[in-house]
Amino acid sequence: MTAPLAKRTAAFSETTVEGEIVLLNLAEGTFFSLTGTAAAIWPLIDGTRTRTALLDELARRYGDEPGAIAADLDAFLAQLSTAGFLDHG
Amino acid sequence: MSVSAINHPGPALLAREATARYGPVPRALGGKPIGPGAMLLNEDSFLLHSGTGYGLFYRQGEGVTIERDPAADPAEEELWLNGSVYAAIAAINGFLPFHASAVAWQGRVHAFSGPSGAGKSTLVAALGGHGLPLFCDDTLVLDVSKPDQVLCLPGHKRLKLAPDALALTGASAQERVAAVVDKHYAKPAGGTLQEVLPLAELVFLEDGAPPGFARIEGARKIARLNDDHYTHDLFAAARDEDNAVRFARIAGIASRIAMQRLVRPRDLACFAEVTAQVAGHIKESALS
Repeated sequence: MTAPLAKRTAAFSETTVEGEIVLLNLAEGTFFSLTGTAAAIWPLIDGTRTRTALLDELARRYGDEPGAIAADLDAFLAQLSTAGFLDHG
Repeated sequence: MSVSAINHPGPALLAREATARYGPVPRALGGKPIGPGAMLLNEDSFLLHSGTGYGLFYRQGEGVTIERDPAADPAEEELWLNGSVYAAIAAINGFLPFHASAVAWQGRVHAFSGPSGAGKSTLVAALGGHGLPLFCDDTLVLDVSKPDQVLCLPGHKRLKLAPDALALTGASAQERVAAVVDKHYAKPAGGTLQEVLPLAELVFLEDGAPPGFARIEGARKIARLNDDHYTHDLFAAARDEDNAVRFARIAGIASRIAMQRLVRPRDLACFAEVTAQVAGHIKESALS
């Protein structure tokens, strides 16, 4: 994942209800609710940041070492990828 | 609290569109044949064949046509007209039918949703004993077109209760609903209210203990609204909505509605206590 990460916008619809980000998988009709760190990461996936840049940004925001949050970030990116919400070029 | 009636064209429009006459009913809609026990909504039209001797066809602006087999139970006619057909008429004319029963208090509607058998009708009938008039039974028709609030159209169905619910709620029994339905029409102790009113809250009934209310927030509101598949499917079919538009619509409604879970034991010994608790909740919410 050295290339910038981008959303596959044709795969989902997004809305916010009472501060909670909700994604609908358009093909399957299933919902994903993003809260906490996931809700913070999601808007950072904007087609300009690589995984490393995301880690650095999260570490800066939360005052943590990138290594400490890498596992959580990777797990979330894997979930997004499985759902088809990430554009792999 | 000062309460003023809302002048809304919905009730008259739906009453006009639901006007029924007898006549031949088509066997297909949009080229698709409809067999017994099936129904189909196609933009401005709805066709249903009951499988019990009834065919019903609605087209926007033309009302409802009923074809009845001589052997069919005449009492079923009202059930079909006020059930699936009315929900389809509401959807085709821009309203969202929702599976809920409701009472009104201080100019706002408190609606209770849940699957068939969850106790919606029994609860709203019993709330009549606490001075809360019935607003609707089983189907709540919503006007979701306003950006700032959700409006409720008054109920079109008579309250129906099973014999045990009649005994439990103090509602007065009238005639039996139909030969194959072990329920009676009933008059609730709190009377009924026929005005367009804003929705105060949507409460989802759940079995469990201890009894109590819990707020539903965020994405869970969307999931709860989306659970009422049948009515949302009708509404979406009437508009030819795709998944994204439907999602945006439901999310928009979710952000305008207060939602709660009401967990309570399905135990007759607790029913009066839980009903009193619900009545207290409604009356207190009017003060806040």
